[in-house]
Amino acid sequence: MPAIGRSRPARGSSITRRRLLLGLGAAAALGLARASAAETFSFGLTPVFLDNDIELLSMLERYLTGRLRRPVALIKRRTYQEISALLISGQLDAAWICDDPYVQYRNQLTLLAVPLYHHRPLYQTYIIVNEASRAQDFDDIRGTVHAFSDPDSTSGYLITRWLLALRHTMPAQFFREFFFTYGHRNVIRAVGSGLAESGSIDGYVWDVMRDREPDLVRKTRIVYRSEWLGFPPMVAPNARANEPAVKAFAAALLDASSDPLGRQILDILALDGFTTGTPDMYQSTLDKWRVVKAQV
Amino acid sequence: MPRLLRLTSWPLTVKVPLLVAGLMVAIAVAISQIVLARLARDQETNLRLLSNAYLDGLSAAVLPAVIRSDIWETFDALDRARGRYSGVKVRYAFVELPNETILAASDPDRFPVMKPVPEKLRKEFPKDDGLAIDEASGRAWLTRTLRTEGFSVGRIHAEIDIADLLRVRHQVLLTLLLANGGLALAFALIGYFAVKHMLQPLSVLTRYVERIRDGRLEPIPQRYRRNVASEFGQIFDRFNAMARTLSERETLATQLAEQEKYAMLGRLASGMAHEVNNPLGGMLNAIDTIQAHGNDPAVVQTSLEFLKRGLAGIRNVVRAALVTYKGGSGTVLTPAELDDLPFLVQHETGVRRLRLEWCNRVEAPLAIDGPAVRQVVLNLLLNACAASPVAGAVAVEAAPADGGLRITVSDEGPGLPIELAALLEQPETPAPSRAGKGLGLWTTAHLVRRLGGRVAVERPGTGTRVVVTLPVVPTKETTRDAA
Repeated sequence: MPAIGRSRPARGSSITRRRLLLGLGAAAALGLARASAAETFSFGLTPVFLDNDIELLSMLERYLTGRLRRPVALIKRRTYQEISALLISGQLDAAWICDDPYVQYRNQLTLLAVPLYHHRPLYQTYIIVNEASRAQDFDDIRGTVHAFSDPDSTSGYLITRWLLALRHTMPAQFFREFFFTYGHRNVIRAVGSGLAESGSIDGYVWDVMRDREPDLVRKTRIVYRSEWLGFPPMVAPNARANEPAVKAFAAALLDASSDPLGRQILDILALDGFTTGTPDMYQSTLDKWRVVKAQV
Repeated sequence: MPRLLRLTSWPLTVKVPLLVAGLMVAIAVAISQIVLARLARDQETNLRLLSNAYLDGLSAAVLPAVIRSDIWETFDALDRARGRYSGVKVRYAFVELPNETILAASDPDRFPVMKPVPEKLRKEFPKDDGLAIDEASGRAWLTRTLRTEGFSVGRIHAEIDIADLLRVRHQVLLTLLLANGGLALAFALIGYFAVKHMLQPLSVLTRYVERIRDGRLEPIPQRYRRNVASEFGQIFDRFNAMARTLSERETLATQLAEQEKYAMLGRLASGMAHEVNNPLGGMLNAIDTIQAHGNDPAVVQTSLEFLKRGLAGIRNVVRAALVTYKGGSGTVLTPAELDDLPFLVQHETGVRRLRLEWCNRVEAPLAIDGPAVRQVVLNLLLNACAASPVAGAVAVEAAPADGGLRITVSDEGPGLPIELAALLEQPETPAPSRAGKGLGLWTTAHLVRRLGGRVAVERPGTGTRVVVTLPVVPTKETTRDAA
C-alpha cells in the first residue's frame, strides 16, 4: 500500500520541541520517538491511498488522540521499507502496513486490527493497462513499460513477481522497462498518462479512486484480478502488543464504526470498520512470498 | 498623361490632406516599427528570463531523479512543473539521457520511456543549452544540460507555446494600425475641410475671373472681402483694381473706336469731295450741252443720262458716308451694306490706280452687327489700299462660311509688320500708345472680338491676306455701342 510523501506536525494541547521535530518527520526525530513513547503514541502509516488527503490525516490524528488520551504522532515515510524498519526496530508503537511486510516479519509482529472492505477483510491485486492498450490478459503485457508501486507491496509488486515466477521469468526480462512509483495513485497516473503501459495496483485503491477521481481512473483498464487476499493490517511489535496504549489503540480502531469521527474516517477510507484478524488470513500472501523468495 | 494622373494638376484641397495623411502614415509606420521591434525584444528577453526560471526550477527538481534514472520521479517532477510557471506555456518537456533515449516526458504518449528522441524533433532544439524561437509556428524550444559534479547526466528539452506573445504583438500592431489609421484619416479630413475653407476666396476669385471671360467685368463685392485672409484680401483688391482698369480701358476702347470712325471719315471726306466734284464738272458740261443743244433730243437724252449717272454716283458716295457716320440697324448685315464700301474708297483706289476686286457672296441679310462689320472691312480695305503699290490689286471677298461670315482682304503690299499683325490676331494686346500707329488695326481687332470673331493674318508669298471670321449667332455683348 502507498506511503505518504509528506509529514505533518502532531496535534496536541501543547507543542513540545520534541513533538514538533517528530511532526516534521525529520530523520533526527526518529531516535526521539522511542524516548517520548510515554507521552506520544507513534503510529506509522503506509496504506493511505490518497497521498494528498491532509484532512483524513488530521481527522485520524484527532480521533486517536481523543481515544488514547495522549498525543498521537502519525509517522509517514516514502517507502514501505522505511516504515517496516522503524516498526521492527521498535521506534513505532503501531503501524498500518501491507500484508507483504506482515508476512515477512510475521514472527515479530502482532495483529491488532484488519480493515473490513465491503464487510470482508479482503482485497485484490489488479493489473491495469492504459485504456488505449489492446492487452486482454496478464500475458499480453509482456514487453511493456510497467509501473510497480513499492517493492514491499503485495498488490503493487509481490503478486506480479509471483505471476512472473510462475512463468520462470523476472521483471527485467518480461518487461521492456519497469519502475517504482511508491504510491498506488501514482501507478494510476503513470498508466493513465502513458508513461507506463501497464501497472500493478491495489484493487481497493483502484476501486475507491474510480469514484473519487473518475477522470484519472477512466484512462486505465483492468486486465487481471488476483484472488482475494488478506487486507493490509494494523500491527504492533510483539514486545509492545500488551501495552495499554497499544490495546487502547486497537480498541479505538475496532470501535471506529460506532464513533461519529471514526465513522467519518471510515467513510473517507471507504471501509466498513475493523475486525480482529488472524495470521492464517495471510497464508496465501505468505505462500506467494515464499515462491518469489525461492526464485531469487 | 490624363489630367487626373498628373499629381501637379490635383486640387490643393486633395493634395494637402493627402500630404498630411501620407506624413501621418509615414510617422505611424516608423513608430510602429520601433514599438514592435522594442516589444519583440522585450518579449524575447522576458521569455529567456522566464524559461530560464522554469529550467532552473525543473533542473533542481529532476536532477536527483535523473541521476538515479528514476523514471517515475522524473515524470512526476515534469508533470508537476507543468502549468506551475505562469508566463511559460510548456507544451511538453522531456529528459533525455546521455545515451540519447528518453528517461521520461510530460507527454509519455508522444515520447515513450527509454525510446530515442524523434530525429525530426531533435533538429528543433538548440544544440547547446539555450532557447530557439520560431515565430512562424509560434513555438520555442529549450535545452538545458543536467550536470552533477561536472558530468552531464542528461538534458531537459521543452517546447514552449509562444502564440500568446505573438498574439499580444499582433494586438499591439492592430491597435497601432487602427489608432494611426484613424488619426491619419482624421487629419486628412480636417486638412480637407481646413484647406477647402482657406481656399474658399479662391473659388470666389475664379467665379469673377470666369465672368470676365463671359465679357462681364464686375468687381468682387465687399461682403466677400470682409471674411478672408489678408493675402486673399490683397488679391481681391488687386482684382478689383484690375477690373476697374479693364473697365476703363473698355470704355476707352469704345471711345477710340468711335474716334477712329470719325478720323476715318475725315480722311475719306477729301476723297469723297473729289468723287463728288469729278462728276460735277462733267455734269455742268452736260447742262451746258443741254442749254446749247436743247433742240436736239438725242443730245438732251445723252446729256440727261450722263447727269443721272453722275448724280447716282454722288448719291452712292454720300449715302455710304452717311451710313458710316450714322451707323445702321446694328443687328443685321444686308448685302447692300457691304456693296457700299467700294464707293468710300474710290478716291484711294483712283489716286493710286489700284484694281479693286470686289466679291460679295452674301445674298441674304445676316444676323451680325452691320455697322461694326462695315467699319472692320473699311479699316482693312483702307489699310490694304495704303499698303498696296501703285497699280496693284486689292481683293475683298465676303462670303458666308461655317454658319457665319468670312471676309478676306488681300493686298500686294510689302506685308503687314509682325507687331501690327499681332495687334490684329491677339485682341488682348494693349492699345498702341501713339495714335495713328496701328490704332485702326487695334480698333478692328477690338471690334472683331466684340463680335465674337477671329482674325488671321496670312502672308501668301507677296502681300498680306487678312481673314476675319465672324459668327452669326450674336454673342451676349454685341456691338451695341461699338459704332
